[in-house]
Amino acid sequence: MKKFAFPLSAMSLALAGTAQAQEVDPAIAELTRPESAVSVGLGYWSKDRPRLGTYDGMNQKGLYGLFDALINTRDDRTGTWFILDARNLGLSTMEMRAEWLRQGNFGVFAEYNRMVRDEPYTVFTAVQGIGTQTQRVPTPSATTIGETHLGTMREAIGAGFSKILGGGYDFRFSVKSEDKTGDRLWGRGGAPEFAAEPIDSNTRQMEGILAYVGKTFQIQGGYYGSWYTNHNSLVDTANINAAGVTSNPFFLSLPLDNQAHQLFVNGGYNLSERTRATFKVAYTHATQDEQIPVGAGVATFAGAPTHLDGQLDTTLLQAGITSRATSNFSWLASLRYYDSNERTPQARIVQPAAGCGTCVDNTPLRFETLTGKLEGTYRMAQGLSALAGVEHARQERDVPFGNVAAGVDAQRYVPWRAKIDETTYRVELRRALAETVNGRIAYSFSQRDGSEFTPTNEIQSDLINPIHIADRDRNKVKLMLDWAVIEPLTLTFNVEYAKDEYGHSDSRPYGLRDGNASVFSLDAAYSISEKWQLSAWYTHDNTKANQFGQRNVNNGAAEAVKEAHLEDTGDTFGAGLRGMILPKLRAGFDLLYSKNVNRYPETITLVGAGGTFPTAGGVTGAPLPDITNTMTRIKLHAAYALQKTSEVRVEYTHEIWKTNDWSWMFADGSTFTYGTTTDGTQVSQAPKQTADWLAVRYIYRFQ
Amino acid sequence: MTRLSGWILGLALGALVMAPAGAQQPRKDMVLNGDAQCTRCHNEGDEYPVLAIAKTKHGTMADARTPSCTSCHGASETHINRPANATERPKPDRTFGKHSKTPMAERSGACLACHQGTKRMDWQLSAHATRDVACSSCHKIHSGFDPVRDKSTQTDTCFSCHKEQRVQVNRPVHHPIVEGKMSCSSCHNVHGGNPKQLVRDSVTETCFTCHMEKRGPFVHNHPPVQEDCAICHQPHGTTIPSLLKARPPFLCQECHSHSSHPSQAGTLPSGRTTTNSLLGSVARGCLNCHTNIHGSNSTQNSATSGRFRR
Repeated sequence: MKKFAFPLSAMSLALAGTAQAQEVDPAIAELTRPESAVSVGLGYWSKDRPRLGTYDGMNQKGLYGLFDALINTRDDRTGTWFILDARNLGLSTMEMRAEWLRQGNFGVFAEYNRMVRDEPYTVFTAVQGIGTQTQRVPTPSATTIGETHLGTMREAIGAGFSKILGGGYDFRFSVKSEDKTGDRLWGRGGAPEFAAEPIDSNTRQMEGILAYVGKTFQIQGGYYGSWYTNHNSLVDTANINAAGVTSNPFFLSLPLDNQAHQLFVNGGYNLSERTRATFKVAYTHATQDEQIPVGAGVATFAGAPTHLDGQLDTTLLQAGITSRATSNFSWLASLRYYDSNERTPQARIVQPAAGCGTCVDNTPLRFETLTGKLEGTYRMAQGLSALAGVEHARQERDVPFGNVAAGVDAQRYVPWRAKIDETTYRVELRRALAETVNGRIAYSFSQRDGSEFTPTNEIQSDLINPIHIADRDRNKVKLMLDWAVIEPLTLTFNVEYAKDEYGHSDSRPYGLRDGNASVFSLDAAYSISEKWQLSAWYTHDNTKANQFGQRNVNNGAAEAVKEAHLEDTGDTFGAGLRGMILPKLRAGFDLLYSKNVNRYPETITLVGAGGTFPTAGGVTGAPLPDITNTMTRIKLHAAYALQKTSEVRVEYTHEIWKTNDWSWMFADGSTFTYGTTTDGTQVSQAPKQTADWLAVRYIYRFQ
Repeated sequence: MTRLSGWILGLALGALVMAPAGAQQPRKDMVLNGDAQCTRCHNEGDEYPVLAIAKTKHGTMADARTPSCTSCHGASETHINRPANATERPKPDRTFGKHSKTPMAERSGACLACHQGTKRMDWQLSAHATRDVACSSCHKIHSGFDPVRDKSTQTDTCFSCHKEQRVQVNRPVHHPIVEGKMSCSSCHNVHGGNPKQLVRDSVTETCFTCHMEKRGPFVHNHPPVQEDCAICHQPHGTTIPSLLKARPPFLCQECHSHSSHPSQAGTLPSGRTTTNSLLGSVARGCLNCHTNIHGSNSTQNSATSGRFRR
C-alpha cells in the first residue's frame, strides 16, 4: 500500500554537500540511527496462578516490578556497537546481555540469565529433609502435614569473544556456566512413597571455533566441551516413626559427574556457480567416572565396580552435494553416518546368588545409523515445481548381552533388533512466486522393518513390537494454501494427516497397532484500514493410537487382553486486533482459547478367572476418565504517547485455566494419598485457576 | 512524518527549486555506498521503506564488508533507468517481497554471498532451502528490528508455517517458549542440514546441552535415553507432566510387555494402596517406583537396582 510522505531524498539532495547538516538532522537520524528504549512499571496479579505461572516467575498473587531496557548505540565513525539488553529485571526470570562490538573487527559479550520452573502442584507432606540428601518418610503416615512448593531455578552466566582475523578468517570463543538448584517430584523407589529429588548441580560449556569464509570455500573447526557436576550423589531415605526411630533404609542414586569433549570440522565448497558440496566430521568422547557412592550398610557384589569408567564415543560423518543442474532442475544427495558407541567396560553389578537368576550387568549400547538421501526438484511454468525424493536409513544396534541361557536373555526386558531399515519416498507439488495463490501438497510414504527380534527374559516380554523399532508403514499428507483473497485479506489453510500402521503377528501380537494424527489450521489476516489490523486463527488437531496388550493375573485381576484407544483432541483459537484509536493512542486486543481432551478408553477382555481390575486390601481399580484442559487468555493493551519519545502503556490480562486431570486423584475424585500405613503425602492442584493482571509501564525511547 | 519535519523538508525542497541549475551537486548517498541512485526515489515513506537498514549491522558503514543496495538487489539497470518503451518501470534484478518473482535460490544466494559460512554452511541441504524458503521469508532486512532474531518474538515467524507447534507450545506442559525464555532456535539451527535441523548433531546431543545429567553413561542405562529422547518426550508441549508423549502405563507399554504388574491396565485406585498393579497410572504412574527412569547409578546388590528404582 502506497504511503504518502514527503520524500526525504529531496532533502538529501537539497543538503547535498552539507554532510554535517545531514548527520544532525533529526528527521534523518530518526530513520537511520539505532534505537534504545527503557521501560519501567508495576504489575499486579490478583491471584496465585500455579499452572500458567510455571515459568514466568509470577506464579503468586502480588505486585511485580517491571523493568526492561535495550540500550543500542553505535559509533558511526568506528562502527562500534554497545548493546545492553536487560529483561524482566523485576522478576525472578531476569536476564541481561551486554555486547561490545567493533563491527568487522572484534567483539565481546557477557550475559546473565535466570530461568525458573515453579512446580504447578502443591505438595502436602510430612516427609522430612526435602532439599537434602537425607530424607525421612513418616510411619505411621503423618496426620500433620505441611504445605511444600517444589521448583527449580537455573542461573547462568556466560561470556564470549569474537575476532575477525583478516583474509576470511575469524575466531569465536564462548563459555557458559549454569547452576541448577531446587527440588522436583521424585519417588522413594523401594515403595510407592513420596520423595523429592534434591537438585544442586552445575554445568559448564565452552566452545572455540576457527572459521574461514571465502567466496567458494568455507570451513570451520573447533572444540566444544561440556561438564556436569552434581553436588549431590546419593539420597538416604528411610521411614521414621513418631519417636524418631528410622527403619527400612533405602538409598537412591543420583546422576554422577560427567563430561564430554567434541572436535569438529564442517566445510563447504562451491564446485561451480550451481553446485555445492559440504561435509562435516565430529567426534565426541564423553566420560563418567566419578566414584560410585554406596549407602552405609548397603551390600554390593564383590565384583561390582567402584568407578564405572563410563565412556561414550559419538562420531558423525556427513557429506552432501546440491546442484541446480539447469535453470529448471535441481537435486541433492547426502550421506550421513552417526555412531553413538558406549565403550564402558561391561561388568557384573548385581549377583545376589551364585545361580545368577537375577544378575545385572551394565549395558553399554551402540547405535550406528547410516542415512542416504536423494532428492530432485523440477520447476515448471507459472511458478509450479515438483519434488521427488527417496531416503534410506539403516541402523545397526549392537547387542551387548551375552548371558543367553535356555533360549532367553535373562537381562533383557524388551525385544531388541540388531538392524533397522527405513525407506522414505516423498513427492511434493508447489506453486510459489504467484500473486494471489501459493501452496503446496506433499505426500510421503515410509516403510520400516528390521532383523529378527532377540529373545527377552520371559515369553510375555517377547510378545511385543517396541514402538521405536517395530515394523511400520507411515503415510503423510500435507497441504498448505496461502491465498490473498482480496488486497486487505489473506487466508492460509494448512492440513496435515499422518497414519501409522505397525507390524504385528500371531507370535508377536502386542504393542501399538496403528495411529493417526491430523492437524487442520486456518489463519486469516485482514487490514481493516491503514490504522487497524485484524488477525485470527483456528487449529484443530487430533491424535489417535490403538494399543494392544496382555495383562497377567495379578492381585485378583484376571488374565486379559487389552485394547487401548488413546485419543488427544485439541481446539485452539487465537485472535488479535491492533489499531490506532487516536493519533496518540494505540490499542490492542488478543484472545487465546485452547481446549484439549485426552481420552483413555481401554477394552479389557478377560480370558481367565478373576476381576477386571486388581483388588487388594479393599482397594480396587476403575477405568480412566477423560481429561479436559481449557485455557482462556484475554489481553488488552493501550499505549498513549506522552511525547514523540515516550509513552504510557497499560496492560490488562484475564486468564482462566481449568482441568479435571486425574493424575493425583483417586477414582472418586478425592486427592491421591501416598501409602497406606506410611507417608500420607498428597499432591494437588486447583482445578480452576483464574487471575487478572493489571500493569502500567512508562516507556522512553531514544537514539 | 511530523508537521515540523514536513516544514523542514518543504523548505529544503524549496531551496532546491530556487537554486540555479548550475549549482546542482551530485546526489549524496544517505545510508549505503552508492545508494543515491536508489534513495532518490525510495525512502521510508515509500511502498518499500529502505532507510531503516541504516539502523542495523547492514548499515554500518565503518565496516568495509557492509553491502550496497546493488549487492543484494543486483545492478538493476532497467529499474534505475526505465527504458523508453517500457509501460511500467521494470523490477530490480532481485526482489525479496512476498510477490517477488525472483527464484528462492537466487534470493538466498544474495545473502549467502556473505553469510554462507558458520551455521549456514549446509543451508542448501536444509529442508527449508529445498522447500523454497528463502532468507527473506523469515528475516526483515530493512528494519531496525528483525523479529525472528529476538527470542520473545521469533515464534511469530516460525508458527506462520509450523501450525502444530503453535498449539503445542500453548499446552499446559511445555518448554518456556511462550514465556520468552526459550525460542525455536534454542534447539533448532534452522539453517542447518542435519535431521530435524537441530543445533547439535542429534536429538540427544541437543537435549544434553541443558539436561546434561541425562547423558550418563549410567551404571544402569535406559536405552532410549542414549538413542533418542523423543521416543518418550514431545518437546514442543503436551498435556502430560514431564512432556511425555503418552501417560504411563501406556507410554511404558509401548515397549514393555512384562508379566505381573507391568502389564496392568490403565486404572485409578479407589483408595490408598501400595499395590503396584493399581499405581501405574495415578500420581507419577510407573515412575512412582521406577523413579530414576533415565538411568541409575546404584551398585546395591539387588535385582531392583537394574530397574531404575534405586
